[in-house]
Amino acid sequence: MVAQPAHTPAPAPVDSDNARILVVDDLRSSRMLIGSVLKSAGFSNIDYAGDGIEALERFEAHEPDIILLDIVMPRMDGFEVSHAIRNRFKSDVPILVQSGVQEAEQRVRAFDMGATDLVSKPINAGELISRLRLHIERRRLIARLQRYQKRMEEELHSAEGMQMSLMKEGPEVDAITQPRQARMETFYRPSYKLGGDLWDVFEIDEHRFGVLMVDLSGHGVSAAINAFRLHMLAERSEADATDPGQWLARLSDELYEILPIEHFATAFYGVFDTRDLSLTFAGAGAPTPVLRRANGNVEHLDASGLIMGCRSNGHYENQRLMLQPGDRLCLYSDALYENFDTPDGALSVEELSALIVATMEADAVDGFTIDLIKRVFGSVPDSFPDDLTILMLEVLPA
Amino acid sequence: MDYKIDQGGDALKVYISGVLTFDDHERFKSVVKAISDSASATAEIDLTETKMIDSAGIGMLLLANDRAKKAGKDVRLTGASGHVLKVIQLSKVDEIIPVAS
Repeated sequence: MVAQPAHTPAPAPVDSDNARILVVDDLRSSRMLIGSVLKSAGFSNIDYAGDGIEALERFEAHEPDIILLDIVMPRMDGFEVSHAIRNRFKSDVPILVQSGVQEAEQRVRAFDMGATDLVSKPINAGELISRLRLHIERRRLIARLQRYQKRMEEELHSAEGMQMSLMKEGPEVDAITQPRQARMETFYRPSYKLGGDLWDVFEIDEHRFGVLMVDLSGHGVSAAINAFRLHMLAERSEADATDPGQWLARLSDELYEILPIEHFATAFYGVFDTRDLSLTFAGAGAPTPVLRRANGNVEHLDASGLIMGCRSNGHYENQRLMLQPGDRLCLYSDALYENFDTPDGALSVEELSALIVATMEADAVDGFTIDLIKRVFGSVPDSFPDDLTILMLEVLPA
Repeated sequence: MDYKIDQGGDALKVYISGVLTFDDHERFKSVVKAISDSASATAEIDLTETKMIDSAGIGMLLLANDRAKKAGKDVRLTGASGHVLKVIQLSKVDEIIPVAS
Protein backbone atom coordinates (compact mmCIF):
# COMPACT_ATOMS: atom_id res chain seq x y z
CA MET A 1 0.00 0.00 0.00
CA VAL A 2 1.25 3.48 -0.85
CA ALA A 3 1.55 5.67 2.20
CA GLN A 4 -0.77 8.64 2.03
CA PRO A 5 0.56 11.98 3.21
CA ALA A 6 -1.10 12.87 6.46
CA HIS A 7 -3.60 15.65 6.09
CA THR A 8 -6.60 16.96 7.86
CA PRO A 9 -9.56 17.54 5.54
CA ALA A 10 -11.38 20.82 5.89
CA PRO A 11 -14.62 20.36 7.78
CA ALA A 12 -17.31 19.52 5.24
CA PRO A 13 -20.59 21.41 5.09
CA VAL A 14 -23.24 19.52 7.01
CA ASP A 15 -25.19 18.54 3.93
CA SER A 16 -22.27 17.69 1.64
CA ASP A 17 -22.31 14.16 0.27
CA ASN A 18 -19.88 12.59 -2.17
CA ALA A 19 -22.08 9.60 -3.01
CA ARG A 20 -21.74 8.93 -6.73
CA ILE A 21 -25.09 9.46 -8.42
CA LEU A 22 -25.78 8.45 -12.02
CA VAL A 23 -28.60 10.48 -13.54
CA VAL A 24 -30.12 8.82 -16.62
CA ASP A 25 -32.57 10.90 -18.67
CA ASP A 26 -32.86 11.51 -22.41
CA LEU A 27 -33.87 15.13 -21.98
CA ARG A 28 -30.95 17.44 -21.45
CA SER A 29 -33.22 19.95 -19.68
CA SER A 30 -34.35 17.24 -17.20
CA ARG A 31 -30.76 16.22 -16.52
CA MET A 32 -29.80 19.82 -15.84
CA LEU A 33 -32.79 20.34 -13.58
CA ILE A 34 -32.06 17.19 -11.58
CA GLY A 35 -28.35 18.08 -11.46
CA SER A 36 -29.05 21.47 -9.99
CA VAL A 37 -31.47 20.01 -7.40
CA LEU A 38 -28.81 17.49 -6.37
CA LYS A 39 -26.05 20.10 -6.20
CA SER A 40 -28.10 22.45 -4.10
CA ALA A 41 -28.75 19.57 -1.70
CA GLY A 42 -24.99 19.09 -1.31
CA PHE A 43 -24.34 16.20 -3.72
CA SER A 44 -21.13 16.85 -5.61
CA ASN A 45 -20.36 13.60 -7.40
CA ILE A 46 -22.86 13.41 -10.25
CA ASP A 47 -22.57 11.54 -13.53
CA TYR A 48 -25.00 11.76 -16.47
CA ALA A 49 -26.20 9.49 -19.27
CA GLY A 50 -28.58 10.43 -22.10
CA ASP A 51 -30.00 6.99 -22.87
CA GLY A 52 -29.91 3.32 -21.76
CA ILE A 53 -26.82 2.31 -23.73
CA GLU A 54 -24.87 5.24 -22.40
CA ALA A 55 -26.15 4.48 -18.89
CA LEU A 56 -24.67 0.97 -18.99
CA GLU A 57 -21.39 2.35 -20.38
CA ARG A 58 -21.19 4.87 -17.54
CA PHE A 59 -22.14 2.13 -15.06
CA GLU A 60 -19.39 -0.17 -16.30
CA ALA A 61 -16.77 2.57 -16.33
CA HIS A 62 -17.47 3.50 -12.74
CA GLU A 63 -20.17 1.87 -10.62
CA PRO A 64 -22.27 4.55 -8.97
CA ASP A 65 -23.66 4.42 -5.42
CA ILE A 66 -27.17 5.02 -6.70
CA ILE A 67 -28.95 5.44 -10.06
CA LEU A 68 -31.77 7.80 -10.89
CA LEU A 69 -33.36 6.28 -13.95
CA ASP A 70 -35.90 7.50 -16.51
CA ILE A 71 -38.07 4.89 -18.22
CA VAL A 72 -38.85 6.14 -21.71
CA MET A 73 -35.62 6.69 -23.63
CA PRO A 74 -34.34 6.06 -27.19
CA ARG A 75 -32.09 3.02 -28.01
CA MET A 76 -32.63 1.29 -24.65
CA ASP A 77 -35.32 2.05 -22.09
CA GLY A 78 -35.07 2.14 -18.31
CA PHE A 79 -36.57 -1.33 -17.85
CA GLU A 80 -33.78 -2.90 -19.90
CA VAL A 81 -31.12 -0.88 -18.07
CA SER A 82 -32.46 -1.98 -14.72
CA HIS A 83 -32.68 -5.61 -15.85
CA ALA A 84 -29.11 -5.55 -17.21
CA ILE A 85 -27.71 -4.06 -14.02
CA ARG A 86 -29.32 -6.73 -11.88
CA ASN A 87 -28.76 -9.71 -14.17
CA ARG A 88 -25.73 -9.00 -16.30
CA PHE A 89 -23.72 -6.95 -13.80
CA LYS A 90 -25.14 -8.67 -10.71
CA SER A 91 -25.15 -5.36 -8.92
CA ASP A 92 -27.41 -4.47 -6.00
CA VAL A 93 -26.90 -0.72 -6.46
CA PRO A 94 -30.12 1.11 -5.54
CA ILE A 95 -32.09 2.13 -8.67
CA LEU A 96 -34.67 4.89 -8.29
CA VAL A 97 -37.04 4.95 -11.24
CA GLN A 98 -38.78 8.14 -12.28
CA SER A 99 -42.37 7.39 -13.09
CA GLY A 100 -45.61 9.30 -13.43
CA VAL A 101 -48.12 8.69 -10.66
CA GLN A 102 -50.86 7.64 -13.09
CA GLU A 103 -48.79 4.95 -14.80
CA ALA A 104 -49.66 2.08 -12.48
CA GLU A 105 -48.61 -0.74 -14.79
CA GLN A 106 -45.28 0.89 -15.49
CA ARG A 107 -44.64 1.28 -11.78
CA VAL A 108 -45.27 -2.39 -11.10
CA ARG A 109 -43.10 -3.44 -14.04
CA ALA A 110 -40.28 -1.20 -12.79
CA PHE A 111 -40.07 -3.24 -9.58
CA ASP A 112 -40.23 -6.49 -11.55
CA MET A 113 -37.24 -5.34 -13.56
CA GLY A 114 -35.20 -4.62 -10.45
CA ALA A 115 -36.04 -1.07 -9.37
CA THR A 116 -35.43 -0.34 -5.69
CA ASP A 117 -37.91 2.50 -5.39
CA LEU A 118 -39.87 5.05 -7.41
CA VAL A 119 -39.71 8.82 -7.52
CA SER A 120 -42.46 10.83 -9.10
CA LYS A 121 -42.07 12.44 -12.46
CA PRO A 122 -42.12 15.38 -12.96
CA ILE A 123 -39.45 15.66 -10.30
CA ASN A 124 -40.40 16.96 -6.87
CA ALA A 125 -37.13 18.26 -5.38
CA GLY A 126 -37.99 17.51 -1.75
CA GLU A 127 -39.15 13.96 -2.43
CA LEU A 128 -36.21 13.21 -4.72
CA ILE A 129 -33.63 14.29 -2.13
CA SER A 130 -35.37 12.46 0.72
CA ARG A 131 -35.55 9.22 -1.20
CA LEU A 132 -31.97 9.50 -2.45
CA ARG A 133 -30.66 10.08 1.05
CA LEU A 134 -32.72 7.20 2.43
CA HIS A 135 -31.35 4.71 -0.09
CA ILE A 136 -27.78 6.00 0.06
CA GLU A 137 -27.82 5.68 3.86
CA ARG A 138 -29.35 2.24 3.66
CA ARG A 139 -26.64 1.12 1.25
CA ARG A 140 -23.90 2.54 3.43
CA LEU A 141 -25.35 0.77 6.44
CA ILE A 142 -25.44 -2.54 4.59
CA ALA A 143 -21.87 -2.03 3.35
CA ARG A 144 -20.76 -1.27 6.91
CA LEU A 145 -22.47 -4.39 8.23
CA GLN A 146 -20.94 -6.49 5.48
CA ARG A 147 -17.47 -5.22 6.32
CA TYR A 148 -18.10 -5.87 9.99
CA GLN A 149 -19.41 -9.36 9.31
CA LYS A 150 -16.44 -10.17 7.09
CA ARG A 151 -14.01 -9.02 9.73
CA MET A 152 -15.74 -11.04 12.44
CA GLU A 153 -15.74 -14.09 10.21
CA GLU A 154 -12.05 -13.73 9.54
CA GLU A 155 -11.32 -13.35 13.23
CA LEU A 156 -13.47 -16.35 14.13
CA HIS A 157 -11.78 -18.36 11.41
CA SER A 158 -8.36 -17.63 12.78
CA ALA A 159 -9.53 -18.39 16.35
CA GLU A 160 -11.01 -21.64 15.04
CA GLY A 161 -7.58 -22.63 13.75
CA MET A 162 -6.09 -21.90 17.15
CA GLN A 163 -8.71 -24.01 18.86
CA MET A 164 -8.35 -26.91 16.45
CA SER A 165 -4.61 -26.92 17.13
CA LEU A 166 -5.33 -27.68 20.81
CA MET A 167 -6.60 -31.07 19.73
CA LYS A 168 -4.19 -33.75 18.60
CA GLU A 169 -4.15 -35.20 15.11
CA GLY A 170 -4.47 -38.90 14.39
CA PRO A 171 -0.73 -39.69 14.17
CA GLU A 172 -0.04 -37.86 17.45
CA VAL A 173 -2.76 -39.88 19.16
CA ASP A 174 -1.43 -43.11 17.63
CA ALA A 175 2.07 -42.32 18.87
CA ILE A 176 0.71 -42.28 22.40
CA THR A 177 -1.80 -45.14 22.29
CA GLN A 178 -0.24 -47.73 19.95
CA PRO A 179 2.82 -48.47 22.12
CA ARG A 180 0.38 -48.87 25.03
CA GLN A 181 -1.79 -51.58 23.55
CA ALA A 182 -4.65 -49.33 22.52
CA ARG A 183 -5.93 -47.27 19.67
CA MET A 184 -8.28 -44.32 19.55
CA GLU A 185 -10.57 -42.68 17.03
CA THR A 186 -11.61 -39.09 17.60
CA PHE A 187 -14.10 -36.60 16.22
CA TYR A 188 -14.58 -32.96 17.14
CA ARG A 189 -16.76 -30.37 15.43
CA PRO A 190 -17.84 -27.05 16.97
CA SER A 191 -21.41 -25.95 16.25
CA TYR A 192 -20.18 -22.66 14.83
CA LYS A 193 -16.44 -22.18 14.28
CA LEU A 194 -15.66 -21.93 17.98
CA GLY A 195 -16.85 -24.42 20.55
CA GLY A 196 -16.69 -25.34 24.19
CA ASP A 197 -15.73 -28.98 23.81
CA LEU A 198 -12.19 -30.10 24.41
CA TRP A 199 -10.51 -33.48 24.42
CA ASP A 200 -6.96 -34.63 24.96
CA VAL A 201 -4.92 -37.80 25.09
CA PHE A 202 -1.54 -37.58 26.79
CA GLU A 203 1.16 -39.90 28.03
CA ILE A 204 1.69 -40.25 31.75
CA ASP A 205 4.53 -42.79 31.79
CA GLU A 206 5.65 -45.74 29.69
CA HIS A 207 2.65 -47.82 30.78
CA ARG A 208 -0.12 -45.26 31.07
CA PHE A 209 -1.89 -42.55 29.15
CA GLY A 210 -4.72 -40.21 30.08
CA VAL A 211 -7.93 -39.55 28.16
CA LEU A 212 -9.76 -36.31 28.89
CA MET A 213 -13.04 -35.09 27.49
CA VAL A 214 -14.52 -31.78 28.60
CA ASP A 215 -17.63 -29.82 27.69
CA LEU A 216 -17.73 -26.20 28.80
CA SER A 217 -21.22 -24.81 29.45
CA GLY A 218 -22.80 -22.75 26.71
CA HIS A 219 -21.31 -22.61 23.27
CA GLY A 220 -19.69 -20.13 20.93
CA VAL A 221 -17.03 -17.61 21.84
CA SER A 222 -17.44 -17.53 25.62
CA ALA A 223 -17.37 -21.32 25.86
CA ALA A 224 -14.31 -21.38 23.59
CA ILE A 225 -12.47 -18.87 25.76
CA ASN A 226 -13.23 -21.04 28.79
CA ALA A 227 -12.01 -24.09 26.85
CA PHE A 228 -8.68 -22.32 26.22
CA ARG A 229 -8.40 -21.45 29.91
CA LEU A 230 -9.21 -24.99 30.95
CA HIS A 231 -6.70 -26.41 28.48
CA MET A 232 -4.01 -24.25 30.00
CA LEU A 233 -4.96 -25.20 33.55
CA ALA A 234 -4.96 -28.89 32.62
CA GLU A 235 -1.55 -28.67 30.96
CA ARG A 236 -0.02 -26.90 33.93
CA SER A 237 -1.79 -28.96 36.55
CA GLU A 238 0.45 -30.11 39.36
CA ALA A 239 -2.12 -32.62 40.56
CA ASP A 240 -1.38 -36.33 40.27
CA ALA A 241 -2.46 -37.25 36.74
CA THR A 242 -2.64 -40.94 37.70
CA ASP A 243 -5.44 -40.18 40.18
CA PRO A 244 -8.43 -39.03 38.06
CA GLY A 245 -10.66 -38.07 41.00
CA GLN A 246 -8.04 -35.92 42.61
CA TRP A 247 -6.98 -34.51 39.26
CA LEU A 248 -10.55 -33.40 38.42
CA ALA A 249 -11.06 -32.00 41.93
CA ARG A 250 -7.98 -29.84 41.52
CA LEU A 251 -9.06 -28.66 38.10
CA SER A 252 -12.54 -27.89 39.43
CA ASP A 253 -11.08 -25.79 42.23
CA GLU A 254 -9.04 -23.82 39.75
CA LEU A 255 -12.03 -23.32 37.47
CA TYR A 256 -14.14 -22.20 40.43
CA GLU A 257 -11.75 -19.31 40.92
CA ILE A 258 -11.92 -18.05 37.36
CA LEU A 259 -15.35 -18.94 35.97
CA PRO A 260 -18.45 -16.81 36.48
CA ILE A 261 -21.17 -18.45 38.62
CA GLU A 262 -23.25 -19.57 35.66
CA HIS A 263 -20.38 -21.23 33.80
CA PHE A 264 -19.06 -24.71 34.48
CA ALA A 265 -17.63 -27.77 32.76
CA THR A 266 -18.54 -31.42 32.55
CA ALA A 267 -15.69 -33.89 32.22
CA PHE A 268 -14.57 -37.47 31.93
CA TYR A 269 -10.98 -38.27 32.79
CA GLY A 270 -9.59 -41.79 32.58
CA VAL A 271 -6.15 -43.36 32.88
CA PHE A 272 -5.45 -46.50 30.89
CA ASP A 273 -2.72 -48.78 32.27
CA THR A 274 -1.24 -51.46 29.99
CA ARG A 275 0.19 -53.45 32.87
CA ASP A 276 -3.22 -54.77 33.93
CA LEU A 277 -5.39 -53.32 31.11
CA SER A 278 -7.27 -51.22 33.65
CA LEU A 279 -9.06 -47.96 33.16
CA THR A 280 -9.26 -45.79 36.25
CA PHE A 281 -11.65 -42.92 35.70
CA ALA A 282 -13.74 -40.23 37.31
CA GLY A 283 -16.69 -38.31 35.94
CA ALA A 284 -17.94 -34.78 36.45
CA GLY A 285 -21.37 -34.88 34.86
CA ALA A 286 -20.26 -36.35 31.54
CA PRO A 287 -22.70 -38.27 29.34
CA THR A 288 -22.81 -42.01 30.06
CA PRO A 289 -19.84 -43.77 28.38
CA VAL A 290 -20.77 -46.97 26.58
CA LEU A 291 -18.50 -50.01 26.80
CA ARG A 292 -18.87 -52.97 24.48
CA ARG A 293 -16.90 -55.94 25.69
CA ALA A 294 -15.10 -58.17 23.20
CA ASN A 295 -17.58 -60.91 24.17
CA GLY A 296 -20.55 -58.71 23.17
CA ASN A 297 -21.65 -57.64 26.64
CA VAL A 298 -22.56 -53.98 26.94
CA GLU A 299 -21.94 -51.85 30.02
CA HIS A 300 -22.86 -48.25 30.78
CA LEU A 301 -20.31 -46.44 32.88
CA ASP A 302 -21.29 -43.91 35.50
CA ALA A 303 -19.63 -40.58 34.68
CA SER A 304 -21.99 -38.52 36.79
CA GLY A 305 -20.43 -36.18 39.29
CA LEU A 306 -20.59 -32.57 40.36
CA ILE A 307 -20.02 -30.32 37.37
CA MET A 308 -16.64 -28.61 37.64
CA GLY A 309 -16.14 -24.99 38.63
CA CYS A 310 -19.26 -24.63 40.80
CA ARG A 311 -17.65 -24.77 44.20
CA SER A 312 -14.39 -25.58 45.91
CA ASN A 313 -13.45 -28.93 47.44
CA GLY A 314 -15.77 -31.00 45.32
CA HIS A 315 -15.24 -34.73 45.57
CA TYR A 316 -14.79 -36.94 42.53
CA GLU A 317 -14.92 -40.69 43.01
CA ASN A 318 -12.42 -42.94 41.22
CA GLN A 319 -13.77 -46.04 39.54
CA ARG A 320 -11.71 -48.88 38.18
CA LEU A 321 -12.60 -50.97 35.19
CA MET A 322 -10.76 -54.08 34.02
CA LEU A 323 -10.56 -54.32 30.24
CA GLN A 324 -9.56 -56.97 27.74
CA PRO A 325 -8.30 -56.88 24.17
CA GLY A 326 -11.21 -56.14 21.85
CA ASP A 327 -13.15 -54.12 24.44
CA ARG A 328 -14.29 -50.82 23.01
CA LEU A 329 -15.32 -47.72 24.94
CA CYS A 330 -17.21 -44.80 23.45
CA LEU A 331 -17.23 -41.32 25.00
CA TYR A 332 -19.31 -38.52 23.52
CA SER A 333 -20.66 -35.06 24.25
CA ASP A 334 -24.37 -34.38 24.74
CA ALA A 335 -24.84 -33.03 21.21
CA LEU A 336 -24.95 -36.65 20.06
CA TYR A 337 -28.30 -37.37 21.73
CA GLU A 338 -29.89 -34.06 22.73
CA ASN A 339 -32.29 -32.37 20.34
CA PHE A 340 -33.56 -29.01 21.52
CA ASP A 341 -35.54 -28.30 18.38
CA THR A 342 -37.72 -31.35 18.95
CA PRO A 343 -37.36 -32.22 22.65
CA ASP A 344 -39.29 -35.45 22.17
CA GLY A 345 -36.79 -36.54 19.50
CA ALA A 346 -33.88 -36.73 21.93
CA LEU A 347 -32.30 -40.17 22.32
CA SER A 348 -32.30 -42.00 25.63
CA VAL A 349 -29.07 -43.58 26.88
CA GLU A 350 -30.47 -46.99 25.89
CA GLU A 351 -31.34 -45.86 22.36
CA LEU A 352 -27.98 -44.19 21.82
CA SER A 353 -26.15 -47.13 23.35
CA ALA A 354 -27.88 -49.48 20.89
CA LEU A 355 -26.69 -47.28 17.99
CA ILE A 356 -23.14 -47.21 19.36
CA VAL A 357 -23.04 -50.97 19.75
CA ALA A 358 -24.54 -51.54 16.30
CA THR A 359 -21.87 -49.27 14.82
CA MET A 360 -19.14 -51.16 16.63
CA GLU A 361 -20.51 -54.48 15.39
CA ALA A 362 -20.93 -53.40 11.78
CA ASP A 363 -18.05 -53.38 9.31
CA ALA A 364 -16.39 -49.96 9.46
CA VAL A 365 -17.07 -47.84 6.38
CA ASP A 366 -15.67 -44.39 7.16
CA GLY A 367 -14.32 -45.22 10.59
CA PHE A 368 -16.24 -45.58 13.82
CA THR A 369 -16.98 -41.92 14.59
CA ILE A 370 -18.31 -41.03 11.13
CA ASP A 371 -20.26 -44.28 10.91
CA LEU A 372 -21.85 -43.51 14.28
CA ILE A 373 -22.76 -39.95 13.24
CA LYS A 374 -24.42 -41.33 10.11
CA ARG A 375 -26.35 -43.84 12.18
CA VAL A 376 -27.54 -41.16 14.63
CA PHE A 377 -28.21 -38.25 12.24
CA GLY A 378 -28.84 -40.16 9.01
CA SER A 379 -25.89 -38.42 7.34
CA VAL A 380 -23.00 -36.19 8.37
CA PRO A 381 -24.69 -32.79 8.85
CA ASP A 382 -22.94 -29.63 7.65
CA SER A 383 -23.38 -28.24 11.11
CA PHE A 384 -24.43 -29.58 14.47
CA PRO A 385 -26.76 -27.76 16.87
CA ASP A 386 -24.10 -27.97 19.58
CA ASP A 387 -20.40 -28.83 19.79
CA LEU A 388 -19.88 -32.52 19.16
CA THR A 389 -17.03 -34.70 20.38
CA ILE A 390 -16.79 -38.46 20.03
CA LEU A 391 -13.87 -40.54 21.32
CA MET A 392 -13.50 -44.29 20.91
CA LEU A 393 -10.89 -46.28 22.77
CA GLU A 394 -10.15 -49.88 21.82
CA VAL A 395 -7.87 -52.25 23.69
CA LEU A 396 -5.58 -54.10 21.27
CA PRO A 397 -4.20 -57.64 21.54
CA ALA A 398 -0.88 -57.82 23.37
CA MET B 1 -39.25 -20.99 27.96
CA ASP B 2 -42.21 -19.39 29.71
CA TYR B 3 -42.47 -18.65 33.37
CA LYS B 4 -45.11 -17.79 35.90
CA ILE B 5 -44.44 -16.30 39.30
CA ASP B 6 -46.72 -16.99 42.26
CA GLN B 7 -46.12 -14.98 45.40
CA GLY B 8 -49.20 -16.43 47.15
CA GLY B 9 -47.86 -18.73 49.87
CA ASP B 10 -44.91 -18.72 52.23
CA ALA B 11 -42.47 -19.42 49.44
CA LEU B 12 -42.15 -17.64 46.14
CA LYS B 13 -42.97 -20.10 43.40
CA VAL B 14 -41.57 -19.85 39.90
CA TYR B 15 -43.01 -22.19 37.29
CA ILE B 16 -40.77 -22.75 34.30
CA SER B 17 -42.29 -24.37 31.22
CA GLY B 18 -40.91 -25.46 27.86
CA VAL B 19 -37.22 -25.70 27.05
CA LEU B 20 -34.68 -23.78 29.14
CA THR B 21 -31.67 -22.93 26.97
CA PHE B 22 -29.13 -20.28 26.12
CA ASP B 23 -31.80 -18.36 24.19
CA ASP B 24 -33.66 -17.66 27.43
CA HIS B 25 -30.72 -15.88 28.99
CA GLU B 26 -32.30 -12.41 28.87
CA ARG B 27 -35.77 -13.50 29.98
CA PHE B 28 -34.41 -15.48 32.88
CA LYS B 29 -32.87 -12.33 34.34
CA SER B 30 -36.34 -11.28 35.47
CA VAL B 31 -36.75 -14.61 37.26
CA VAL B 32 -33.43 -14.07 39.04
CA LYS B 33 -34.51 -10.57 39.99
CA ALA B 34 -37.96 -11.67 41.19
CA ILE B 35 -36.31 -14.23 43.48
CA SER B 36 -33.78 -11.85 44.97
CA ASP B 37 -36.36 -9.04 45.37
CA SER B 38 -39.01 -11.30 46.88
CA ALA B 39 -40.11 -10.87 50.49
CA SER B 40 -40.11 -14.66 51.00
CA ALA B 41 -37.05 -16.35 52.46
CA THR B 42 -37.55 -19.35 50.18
CA ALA B 43 -38.00 -19.61 46.45
CA GLU B 44 -39.18 -22.76 44.78
CA ILE B 45 -38.36 -23.25 41.11
CA ASP B 46 -40.93 -25.68 39.77
CA LEU B 47 -39.64 -27.67 36.78
CA THR B 48 -42.68 -29.90 36.32
CA GLU B 49 -43.42 -28.37 32.93
CA THR B 50 -39.78 -27.99 31.88
CA LYS B 51 -39.15 -30.38 29.03
CA MET B 52 -35.43 -29.97 28.44
CA ILE B 53 -32.54 -28.00 29.86
CA ASP B 54 -29.12 -27.33 28.36
CA SER B 55 -25.88 -26.38 30.07
CA ALA B 56 -26.73 -22.68 29.82
CA GLY B 57 -30.08 -23.48 31.47
CA ILE B 58 -28.30 -25.18 34.36
CA GLY B 59 -26.07 -22.11 34.50
CA MET B 60 -29.15 -19.91 34.93
CA LEU B 61 -30.37 -22.03 37.85
CA LEU B 62 -26.92 -21.72 39.43
CA LEU B 63 -27.06 -17.96 38.95
CA ALA B 64 -30.53 -17.70 40.50
CA ASN B 65 -29.34 -19.77 43.46
CA ASP B 66 -26.23 -17.63 43.90
CA ARG B 67 -28.13 -14.33 43.79
CA ALA B 68 -30.72 -15.68 46.22
CA LYS B 69 -28.01 -16.84 48.63
CA LYS B 70 -26.44 -13.41 48.51
CA ALA B 71 -29.84 -11.93 49.40
CA GLY B 72 -30.10 -14.36 52.33
CA LYS B 73 -32.64 -16.68 50.71
CA ASP B 74 -32.88 -20.34 49.85
CA VAL B 75 -33.77 -21.80 46.49
CA ARG B 76 -34.97 -25.31 45.87
CA LEU B 77 -35.85 -27.14 42.69
CA THR B 78 -39.03 -29.19 42.44
CA GLY B 79 -40.89 -31.34 39.97
CA ALA B 80 -38.01 -32.25 37.66
CA SER B 81 -38.62 -35.30 35.51
CA GLY B 82 -37.44 -36.85 32.26
CA HIS B 83 -34.53 -35.09 30.56
CA VAL B 84 -34.29 -32.38 33.22
CA LEU B 85 -34.10 -34.92 36.04
CA LYS B 86 -31.40 -36.87 34.18
CA VAL B 87 -29.32 -33.74 33.68
CA ILE B 88 -29.66 -32.90 37.38
CA GLN B 89 -28.65 -36.42 38.39
CA LEU B 90 -25.73 -36.53 35.96
CA SER B 91 -24.40 -33.11 36.96
CA LYS B 92 -25.10 -33.54 40.69
CA VAL B 93 -26.47 -30.01 40.77
CA ASP B 94 -28.39 -31.15 43.86
CA GLU B 95 -25.11 -30.81 45.78
CA ILE B 96 -25.44 -27.07 45.17
CA ILE B 97 -29.17 -26.39 44.88
CA PRO B 98 -31.45 -28.57 47.03
CA VAL B 99 -33.82 -30.69 44.96
CA ALA B 100 -37.17 -31.64 46.47
CA SER B 101 -39.38 -34.21 44.87
